Amino acid sequence: MAKVILTVDDSASVRQMVKFTLSDAGYSVIEAVDGKDALAKLTGPVNLVITDLNMPNLDGIGLIRSIRANPACKGLPIVMLTTESQQARKLEGKAAGATGWIVKPFSTEQLVAVVKRVLG
Amino acid sequence: MIDKHKQAFQEEARELLVELESALLELDQKRDDREVVGRAFRALHTIKGSGAMFGFDDIAGFAHNLEAVFDRLRNGHLAATADLVSLTLAAGDHMKTMLDEAAGHGAVDRARSAGILGELRQLTGLPEPQPGIAPTSHVGDGAGTSGLAHQWRIRFRPGPTVLLNGTNPLLLLRELRGLGQLRISLDTAAIPPLSEIEPDRCYLAWEMVLTTAAAPEAIRDVFIFIEDDCELAVEQVLDQAAPTPTPAILAPPQSVPDGRSAAGRETASSIRVSTDKLDQLVNLVGELVTVQARLSELAGRRDNADILEVSEAVDRLTAALRENSMSIRMLPLKATFARFHRLVHDLAIELHKEVELTVEGADTELDKTVIDQLSDPLVHLIRNSMDHGIETPEARRAAGKRSTGTIHLSARHSGANVLIQVSDDGRGVDTEAVRARAIEQGLIDRGAQLSEGEICSLIMAPGFSTAREVTSVSGRGVGMDVVRRSVEALRGSIDIGSNPGAGLAVTLRLPLTLAIIDGLLVRVGQAYFVLPLANSLECVELTRKDIEDTHGKHIANLRGELIPYIRLSEYFQIETARPELEQIMVVETEHGHYGFVVDQVLGDHQTVIKNLGRLYRNVQVVAGATILGNGTVALILDPHRLVQEVVQSRSQKKRSNGRSKSVNSQDSKLTAQFVKKENRINGTQSIQ
Repeated sequence: MAKVILTVDDSASVRQMVKFTLSDAGYSVIEAVDGKDALAKLTGPVNLVITDLNMPNLDGIGLIRSIRANPACKGLPIVMLTTESQQARKLEGKAAGATGWIVKPFSTEQLVAVVKRVLG
Repeated sequence: MIDKHKQAFQEEARELLVELESALLELDQKRDDREVVGRAFRALHTIKGSGAMFGFDDIAGFAHNLEAVFDRLRNGHLAATADLVSLTLAAGDHMKTMLDEAAGHGAVDRARSAGILGELRQLTGLPEPQPGIAPTSHVGDGAGTSGLAHQWRIRFRPGPTVLLNGTNPLLLLRELRGLGQLRISLDTAAIPPLSEIEPDRCYLAWEMVLTTAAAPEAIRDVFIFIEDDCELAVEQVLDQAAPTPTPAILAPPQSVPDGRSAAGRETASSIRVSTDKLDQLVNLVGELVTVQARLSELAGRRDNADILEVSEAVDRLTAALRENSMSIRMLPLKATFARFHRLVHDLAIELHKEVELTVEGADTELDKTVIDQLSDPLVHLIRNSMDHGIETPEARRAAGKRSTGTIHLSARHSGANVLIQVSDDGRGVDTEAVRARAIEQGLIDRGAQLSEGEICSLIMAPGFSTAREVTSVSGRGVGMDVVRRSVEALRGSIDIGSNPGAGLAVTLRLPLTLAIIDGLLVRVGQAYFVLPLANSLECVELTRKDIEDTHGKHIANLRGELIPYIRLSEYFQIETARPELEQIMVVETEHGHYGFVVDQVLGDHQTVIKNLGRLYRNVQVVAGATILGNGTVALILDPHRLVQEVVQSRSQKKRSNGRSKSVNSQDSKLTAQFVKKENRINGTQSIQ
């Protein structure tokens, strides 16, 4: 059974890139357009969440908090996508319970390396 | 693929610019609407982030400056003005031309970029333009190698809550191992008593020695996600570079609290010994076992306590020595299996097929002699699978399968045997074709009624091949019967399971070792036999009354379970007066539990297997012979074969109504001759 990764981003191109790269690496990828959508899709089996931080409706930090507050998702790895300039947001995300982060821009190799690190 | 992503980004960026424009126009109406500012910010943020991802660095850099302004607007540090809105609108238009340029239309006025940014700075009082998107180091890069291997001692104690944040420390260890040779010892000192354990907390710490050419930053980088949430110490162990990746002998890590962790297995030092010497050792141990058997026999007869004591001590030592020297000869199948990856790869190209090889249980250990002789049969089986079994990619797709075929190689222990299986997901055996071909080649009669399994075993008949054309890979009909013969030479057996359309699985059952087995010595009349202990389940008594109860049918009632039995005296035609009380050895076989009726069970016996002479090589039910302490020869029986023969001869008799002479009767006759001859020899010996 391929591990399921949920990519949460309001940017379709980033979602596409994540999906493409990780599907290639043997994972199964589902997409969500924002935090709210992600929470709805978390009812199914998901082994890892990769989320952007800036999104409409429910942003990445809010999503991480909601996931950590949900006992059904205990220990679920969450990787956030940040940019260099978002140091403060990164710390906020970590405090909210993010497992790791990837700094944009990132290459496909970096993405796969981080996913391997937190998901195996 | 990258171009596809770029295309997607361009489309998305254009949409985002439209979104930015509409947000800006709205902002012009409602200057302090945070929601609208947020929309503009997100649009710019995404353009920046995605742009940098797909190589649109100038757009990303440009958007970054705008994003910084809108971040301040969003946080209320700056107020939106008409000038700012119109400047941002112009900047949006400028980004459109940048996109156009990237798509190959028109050119961008670089001075205009700088102009807009300059105006922006004037307007907002932002400091020096922040560097656009600085190249940053992440996982996988920046971790340069220093060229030479160094040893690093790493102490890693994750914080108690890391598991809750989704961190799996084991994955980090695994990643470390990817950097070089890693020795890990676990520190369990912090685990509280069971009553105080909170299951989602991490109480473990690790102490590791890593030999790697990677820079220390690369080591720290592995832990970057939890660097604030763990204790981590990375220090170099040896100053001079280790010339080889083999670890030097290191003192056990000091902070490991006691010896129960890895301290004991610091180095697995080894020496190379020629296999000749090993063979010699095993031979000598074999002789020793025989001599020891004579010693115990002698000691038993003398009934002298002193001699008995020594004999028992020798007995124990011999058993330990035997065990030890056998384990020296055991090798994992890994090396043998590893060679097949290349074989599959090369054959796949030659045959224009797509095949992947998966391997399981490569750590299973087998006697070196067995491994050496196993390689060829396995090559045959894999070639067969690839040539006959796995279809061409087109045919596979047509059959609704994945175009890439899979060959699965697995090994596992089963009692005193190792089962090695080669399975594929190809077309399986076409039983009709095999049948037709076998009739064509005169292997079976036209009217013969054969079961699926029997048809499958026809594949292993000498000269049999269904391949219409001879390919360079297989099809000459020397395949499967060669495999069968080599496996049988190893005292193993083959089982073929076919699932037409879905694949073929060939299972080889091989003995763990060839030289010595643990057996149970039994007596039938004057003859002695050894049954392998690994298959024996229990001994029960068989009384005259039991036999009467079943009306002479060869079935015993064992705690409610009906167990068919074979009377060895009948099978081997040994004339013996049936004792009042016989014994049944219950043995586990492929055909279920079976009993062997013997006159007496004498006890366990370490058995050095000697091969029978050439004359008896076709006798399948006897695995070999051994010499007992008093010089008597005992035959070592192969219970699987014995039961198989009996089952087969019964079904053959049923079919042919006893017209044809069964294989079994020949077999048992030959054996019977042997037993009689032995008895004569033993008889003369006892006269002397």
